Amino acid sequence: MKNVTLEIDGRTVEAGEGTTLLKAAQSVGIRIPTLCNDDRLEPYGGCRMCMVEIETSWGRKRLVASCVYPVEEGLRVQTNTERVRRIRRMIIELLWPSSQVYAEEYGVTGSRFEPGLTDCSLCGLCLRYCTEIKKENRIYFEGRGIERRPALVEGSELTCRACGECFTLCGSGWIASRC
Amino acid sequence: MNTRKPVAGEQPAEGPLDVLIIDGEEAFAAACRRTLEHAGFRVATSGTAGQGLALAETRHPGVVLLALELPDMPGAEALGALSRQAPAAVPVVASAHGTVDAAVESMKLGAFDFLAKPVGAEKLVETVRRGLNLSVLRKEAAGPGAAGAQAPDKYDLLLQGLDVLGEAYSLGLEKRQLLDELTWLENEAKYHAESLGQIKKKERVILDIRNDLLESDVIMRRYDFHKNALIQVLLDVQEKFRWLPRHVLNWISGRLNIPVRDIYTIAHFYEAFSLEPRGRHIVQVCTGTACHVRGASELLTRISATLGVKPGETDARQAFTLETVHCIGCCALAPVVQIDSRYHRNPSKSQFEKIIQSLEKEEVDTCPA
Amino acid sequence: MSRIETPADLARLRDQAVARRNSRGTWVAVCAGTGCRAYGAEALAESLEKEVEKRGLGKKIGVRKTGCHGFCERGPLVVVQPSDVCYLGAQPKNVPAIVDKLEGKDAALDKLLYVDAENGKPLARLDEIPFYKHQQRVVLGDNVHIDASDILDYIAVGGYAALAKALSGMTPEEVLQEVKEAKLRGRGGGGFPAGRKWETTRKAPGEPKYVIVNADEGDPGAYMDRSILEGNPHGVLEGLILGAYAIGAGEGFIYVRQEYPLAREHAQKALDQAREYGLLGENILGSGFSFDVKIHRGAGAFVSGESSALMSAIEGHVGEPRPKYIHTSEKGVWGKPSCLNNVETWANVPHIINRGAEWFTGMGTEGSKGTKIFSLVGKVNNTGLVEVPMGITLRDIIFKIGGGVPGGKKFKAVQTGGPSGGVIPESMLDLPVDFDELTRVGSMMGSGGMIVMDENTCMVDTARYYMSFLAHESCGKCVPCREGTRQMLRILDRIVAGEGKEEDLAVLEELGDFMEDASLCALGQSAPFPVLSTLKYFRGEYEEHIREKRCRAGVCTPLIAYDIDQETCGKCGACLRACPVAAVDQSADKVFTILQEKCIKCGACFTACPEKFSAVIKVPAYAIGKPSAGNPPPAGKQV
Ligand SMILES: Cc1cc2nc3c(=O)[nH]c(=O)nc-3n(C[C@H](O)[C@H](O)[C@H](O)COP(=O)(O)O)c2cc1C
Ligand code: FES
Repeated sequence: MKNVTLEIDGRTVEAGEGTTLLKAAQSVGIRIPTLCNDDRLEPYGGCRMCMVEIETSWGRKRLVASCVYPVEEGLRVQTNTERVRRIRRMIIELLWPSSQVYAEEYGVTGSRFEPGLTDCSLCGLCLRYCTEIKKENRIYFEGRGIERRPALVEGSELTCRACGECFTLCGSGWIASRC
Repeated sequence: MNTRKPVAGEQPAEGPLDVLIIDGEEAFAAACRRTLEHAGFRVATSGTAGQGLALAETRHPGVVLLALELPDMPGAEALGALSRQAPAAVPVVASAHGTVDAAVESMKLGAFDFLAKPVGAEKLVETVRRGLNLSVLRKEAAGPGAAGAQAPDKYDLLLQGLDVLGEAYSLGLEKRQLLDELTWLENEAKYHAESLGQIKKKERVILDIRNDLLESDVIMRRYDFHKNALIQVLLDVQEKFRWLPRHVLNWISGRLNIPVRDIYTIAHFYEAFSLEPRGRHIVQVCTGTACHVRGASELLTRISATLGVKPGETDARQAFTLETVHCIGCCALAPVVQIDSRYHRNPSKSQFEKIIQSLEKEEVDTCPA
Repeated sequence: MSRIETPADLARLRDQAVARRNSRGTWVAVCAGTGCRAYGAEALAESLEKEVEKRGLGKKIGVRKTGCHGFCERGPLVVVQPSDVCYLGAQPKNVPAIVDKLEGKDAALDKLLYVDAENGKPLARLDEIPFYKHQQRVVLGDNVHIDASDILDYIAVGGYAALAKALSGMTPEEVLQEVKEAKLRGRGGGGFPAGRKWETTRKAPGEPKYVIVNADEGDPGAYMDRSILEGNPHGVLEGLILGAYAIGAGEGFIYVRQEYPLAREHAQKALDQAREYGLLGENILGSGFSFDVKIHRGAGAFVSGESSALMSAIEGHVGEPRPKYIHTSEKGVWGKPSCLNNVETWANVPHIINRGAEWFTGMGTEGSKGTKIFSLVGKVNNTGLVEVPMGITLRDIIFKIGGGVPGGKKFKAVQTGGPSGGVIPESMLDLPVDFDELTRVGSMMGSGGMIVMDENTCMVDTARYYMSFLAHESCGKCVPCREGTRQMLRILDRIVAGEGKEEDLAVLEELGDFMEDASLCALGQSAPFPVLSTLKYFRGEYEEHIREKRCRAGVCTPLIAYDIDQETCGKCGACLRACPVAAVDQSADKVFTILQEKCIKCGACFTACPEKFSAVIKVPAYAIGKPSAGNPPPAGKQV
């Protein structure tokens, strides 16, 4: 595979073509916060905690989700600017309390908002694990938009309790409470 | 079932029949008769609908093989007459014009299956055998004393069960699997009866379900059982049944080899699908922007109050479902309500009541008692 | 009916089709678009046919059911050709008189003619009526002339000539070049240059390539795409075939929402006929180029109109957008290069190939060439579809073509760009309509919805309306869009209920910026625009709702109440009969009052109250229930 050279937080990083920015950063020990990412699963790009600022070699600046954006030759990436931190703070508030792990790091002490669902942040980790790794296809999202909520295929409770592998992935306890 | 093997070529003169062939095309009728008699069925033929229907009434055939093209009556009409005069008989339609439309049309009119001419011998025998199985159920459902219904004794049923089991084995299904599937169907039947809020006889519900599954097969066949066509299949199912019954979704999942989960995801995602039975008439108030600024929410409140249901609900009689929809592309008439396939511009309370009444009246007029 | 093998065959067929049309001296074109159908156009056409037949005029006069003419407000529409006399709102009872007139007899038809608002004179001809006079109908022009279910009608007016021209005399590169030079920009919302997109797909590695028509038309309040596809499906198809030729695609899709059954039916018929004539399928017009098209029905989701979501749906998956760092024009359906364009974009292509890029760039502004169709709806006299050259001002569209705001009400704002767009206040009405200008003022061109709002439209309610739409139409995958719309909607719900807080406006703006930056797809990125633009231009209205608990437009139901002004009440009882919940009380001496605790504020009484009394009034909710002495006297009919 071809290698690509780019710059992350001022450091020169080399990474294989097709690697995501998140993985490239992790490979040199730069930590980017994530809520919906798991190395075993396909990147999802849902929580947007991992947003970073990029500047392409031809000077175009924008914000992208590092867990899905592939490395590019000559790209300059900044993972912790004020703009990025502002986005992360808002996400923490919006997903409160599921997002408390990052509260301290970003100086968030509480939320101005009532959460949509109290026991689920809709990160899709359990669902994707069940589909991609276990190939069991037991969990799905019902509805769309603000009506979206997780659901279990009828009659799965016993099977799910027996497996239970996704329970540990869930930061908010929805799946365990259903089985 | 068949105690006496008739001599091929001779019409059995009396007694109940297994198969009655009504077809003006003599050569075809004769060929079918030979094939079926060879397989051990009692068969009679008739060249006209008139004679055939009379025979069906007196001789109680299990299966009627009915041509769509008849010299004295349109096939569709004959099909209707047959279901009235010999309700226990299972009609199988044969036609030289084997279009999907004709097939769907006949299924709608109650045909059990559709055979496109020319018909292969194996296919014919297999279809008739399935039809006879069903006719036994039907005669049973009609209850003892129903004209001519010979209640099969226990041993007949056991034999039939073994038949089915044998076929299942040859398909590579284990007995366990078959039982599982049958139990599943039975569960679906109960759920179906419940979710429709109708307490039906179990046999009846099972037959309904069977028909539903056959219909969904017809739909999937339109798309060559292609996975990619899932959304299109579901749209057709929704149009046909006015909702997505659970057993149909499970069936589609097995047929197209798509996890139920994916089907549920789609069914829940799109506006067009309903996972609950909807009323016979759909009242959709447009809440698109153009309608909104011209008073759609007042119209909705008014209609909702008049019908006595909230948006998204169906009335107790399953007559009207009230829904909102984001733009039906009739913005110049705003605010609009679409009732079934007709559009109405901002009806007042009394205009709306009139529309509703006329729909209900139509229903009474077209429904036989 | 035989396959057309060569361009010469097509020319011969055209001659036959033209001769067939000319065999009758007069044609009556009855609009059978969805709007006019709702007014009973089908019955009208049928009774016209019968009348003509009855009088033995069948050889002289033909009746044709056509697609949408555009002037939907005044349907059913009838246009007599070739004189172009236009009858508005004709009913079956008018048929004998219309046919009398066609026979050259005197007939009193003035009631069906358009009346000039200024001098009260009737205007008979299509090109005299202001609604049509100021338009420039390129894409919609043929709608009046053809029966969409008959390919020969399309061929007779010059259909498929562009295809013949391209296949017999132009290379795919030349077709592509022509479209690039025409500077055609996508009509579906983004305004991306079509030629550039085609080129990307053409050059992208991977076979087969696909071309797709986006007829999902999710923008509530817009119906241009519907009318084009219903009224002139072959025009769209011809454009698609040309595109496929230029791009090198072998297969195409028309993605049409299932709420448009007639559009789907007409598109299907067009495909069948084109295939029968050899204009679609193997070896089109003997050129060696093969291409076929399938229809895919959308199951109803706004977000499904987004390109990656649409392609996902074509594959049979749920229509969720995917993170898109590689464009669908390079990796789309099944990972193959796929070029998606809007209905109107495709429909422009045959005209460009026929008349050349130079003709096309002769219309419009520097950055936006050609014409654009708008669905002009809301509080405007002449609602309907209008096609205008780019660069025309909003004022011209709304006042010259649209005839202004009805009922002498005051214009307040116009909303363009649908749920991703914004409102434009009166002070900016002289803005030229152009992709870049509209974006500059915080709205956007969008697909062409143009909703006119008057003093009775509440801007906070409008913002809340769009937010509620988006919150339910978002796919819900990414946090900024899902949670952002949820919280914005909650805040707006509070404000329209009179429970807003002073700091709410700042939070709305903060959420808006965040969503624009962080959302996964364009739905979330543009979702805050309706709120941000109303906040920018109509902040005062928000503040009134929050501080004074007052909705000056009388729209936000929690803030208003209905009351009966006893002084003007004519005691006719219309309100009582209209009320669906029996909230109007009648005392022994015929005093009508509204029982506030029963009232559901549906406005039925308000509408029912005869104009001459105008006794049912809207009053601020806080004015109700106070001792009558303290009641502020209702200031006449507020609304
Ligand atoms: C949420 C969302 C909804 C959209 N809906 C439509 C639509 O209904 N019709 C349409 O033509 N384009 C729609 N688009 C734009 C398409 O993604 C795409 O840009 C367009 O079809 C490309 O065609 P064009 O370049 O000809 O405009 C939508 C975009 C988004 C983000
Ligand atoms: S980790 Fe959730 S979007 Fe990237």
